Amino acid sequence: MQQQEFIELCRELALVDDHALTRVILPVIKEHLTRSNQNKLPVIWVETNDSGDNNIAFMNTTFPYLGQVFSEMIDLLYSNTFMAAQGVDALMVLEQTAVLYKGRFTLVVEGAVPVKDNGIYNIIARTENRNITALDAVSRLGKLAQYVVANGTCASFGGPTAARPNLSGSVGVRDVLDREVINVSGCPTNPDWFVGTLAHLLLYGRPELDNLGRPTLFYGFTVHRHCQRRSYFDRDDFAEKLGDIECMFSQGCVGPRTSADCPYRQWINYVNWPVRANTPCIGCTNEDFPDGSTPFFTPLPEKSGQAATPGGAQTSPGVQITVGEGRNE
Amino acid sequence: MSKQKIMFSPVTRLSGLLSVEVIVEQGRVVEANASGTMFRGYEWIMRNRHVTDAVYLTQRVCGICSLAHGAMASYLLDELYANELSENAQFLRNVMYGADFLQNHIRHFYLFSLPDFVRMPDYPPYHGQNLTDARLGPIDNQRLVDNYFEAIKAAQRSHEILALFGGKAPHQHSFVHGGVAVAPTADKINRALALLDSIHEFVKTCLIPDTELIARVYDDYFKIGLTFGRLLSFGLFKFGPHNEQLLWRGGVLNDGRLTAPRLDLIKEDVTSSWYAVQAVPGADDWGVEPAPQKPGAYTWIKSVRYAGQHYETGPLARMIINGFYNGGTSTMDRIYARSLETMLITELMREWLLKLQPGPAPLKQNPEPVKSEVVVTTDAMRGALLHSARIVDEQVERYNIITPTVWNFSPKDQHGRGPVESALVGTSIPKLDMLSTILGRIVRSYDPCISCATHVMDAEGNKQDKIVF
Repeated sequence: MQQQEFIELCRELALVDDHALTRVILPVIKEHLTRSNQNKLPVIWVETNDSGDNNIAFMNTTFPYLGQVFSEMIDLLYSNTFMAAQGVDALMVLEQTAVLYKGRFTLVVEGAVPVKDNGIYNIIARTENRNITALDAVSRLGKLAQYVVANGTCASFGGPTAARPNLSGSVGVRDVLDREVINVSGCPTNPDWFVGTLAHLLLYGRPELDNLGRPTLFYGFTVHRHCQRRSYFDRDDFAEKLGDIECMFSQGCVGPRTSADCPYRQWINYVNWPVRANTPCIGCTNEDFPDGSTPFFTPLPEKSGQAATPGGAQTSPGVQITVGEGRNE
Repeated sequence: MSKQKIMFSPVTRLSGLLSVEVIVEQGRVVEANASGTMFRGYEWIMRNRHVTDAVYLTQRVCGICSLAHGAMASYLLDELYANELSENAQFLRNVMYGADFLQNHIRHFYLFSLPDFVRMPDYPPYHGQNLTDARLGPIDNQRLVDNYFEAIKAAQRSHEILALFGGKAPHQHSFVHGGVAVAPTADKINRALALLDSIHEFVKTCLIPDTELIARVYDDYFKIGLTFGRLLSFGLFKFGPHNEQLLWRGGVLNDGRLTAPRLDLIKEDVTSSWYAVQAVPGADDWGVEPAPQKPGAYTWIKSVRYAGQHYETGPLARMIINGFYNGGTSTMDRIYARSLETMLITELMREWLLKLQPGPAPLKQNPEPVKSEVVVTTDAMRGALLHSARIVDEQVERYNIITPTVWNFSPKDQHGRGPVESALVGTSIPKLDMLSTILGRIVRSYDPCISCATHVMDAEGNKQDKIVF
């Protein structure tokens, strides 16, 4: 509603004693309030083929805690996990907000997208006469969104959902959308990576991305580079078994080819991370996770399909920045 | 009211994707089809991999109960490799297992179930709530909304205990075969105790009174969503050097008779599921493959039966079988039993933390498998969980998982309806605009996890009836 129209309405209805003005103005104000809250990021979150671990990880965010994220940071307009609405009401919310916030909302996809048989392996909602597949929803919403964020390794690259033999033909969001996708990979994502990416979009716009579309803010360096046990690696002091305090390379660690800041950020209120827990990093942020990381407890050069040696050659296409950090760095 | 077919979809506030189609006639649900609408297929993913990968890979089956799958895979490997577990390893494992239960139950009650009974604030993601049967007064309602936001912190602290020992959560790293890879040091034990104290305080002063309030105000739900009263649990909290002792016993409760679960009586079926069974020439068993267009099928969840009958599983089954709860099998009984169990687990975890001896990582893995086939069972958060594996040279040939949600959300087969569909059928719907509210309450009382439940089994009804392979 334009200013002039508003003033005229007020004049016209000011003297009528039946609350007609209130009735006309309230919906307009409500629409205004929902449309113009520039302080919060409008988000539509679609869960597709996944384990739901990324929404659980998101619940573990601290400062801001989840409640603060909802009240202060994002308007989570649709989310299968969190929304109070259900059934056809939820579906109406999705349809209305996608149109109302067209070009302004951030689409978050959690999970891979099955494409085999037109995507029938994942249906996000049904009506009496049709199935809305993840493929339909992501394709349609992806066209309307301002930003698309793939939350987790399944949504980013296919992940465990697309692990061999991948019977449902699942792929990452980037393979079904003809536009930029911000990949926040991880199995699950550290809540800081995900909440931090949303915060960047809200406060500063698009973050700088690496060659796999991931914010360099979180994925700029390898686990290996910042690992607390790097000195053991450099001295060839390797763990003999899980539970030891030496370098986990011998126990299958893929830190040398995994981009993530786990060693210094750590997890769940920053208390721990896998190598500190005397186990290997299994490379859950990688494009080829999990198939490129298995067998998990076999040293990197001997893993199936791996040619890498510590500090050695490239292991697979698309992970250029993750390898090549040998002991001399 | 004439006969009406109504689609309740999406059923939000749960793990995974679920739709429920009901037929309502003269104000009553006369038929219900619960559809898990996502296909995952972990049993196939596990094939032709090193069997020790199961600890980390099967956790990816589920985000909200990931540790349960990692624990089951660890128990499975313990038996395959004949590991001997120290007492410290078992205390530590159960502290971690308990922490993930607290996380799950607190989140389920507040984040998923509460908006079925409480008016939430009018901003996203709570907008458009349409709670057609809100009964709490403004003061009680506000208190529960406040506790919703406190619950977020209590659940986060539960995962902090898990991560303290497990490296991260979900998908922890240190609970592996042979024990736990993290040393229980005094500082960690102390920190875990402090975190646990604050969770215990929350459970005592919020979760329990809030559950009692909801149970009092919505007491008609002690008569809504009833099942047939057949309950199943595989028991919970394993102890002993070979995981042979269970703190909470398992059992099969049928018509007041409690017997020990027999694995040979478990049978899976795909009559109403999107899978085709094909005889594999020359093989002893049957091949199963996804068949999303199969006529008459309506879900990716297979059905499972015990001695030819459907069974309900979950906290209610555990609490009744172990004599901690003496109630019925209704919507509110399920909610009540889950909260009661949460309280009991906070007390047990304190006991275990105090019994832990500070020392090195309690872990000893034997290098060679001594068996080639293993079936292990225990309960996860949502009830009875089974993993089984057959290996050749440490490579997985077959891996099967039967999750609790498969028991509860079993579709129809020649033996009738599964628990959830039975609970829905017969429900009175006084007004059609109450349908989602009423169905949502009943369905969520099972704490459904569809991501867990929608897997391909490897084989069904083979000649030896060894269904678990």
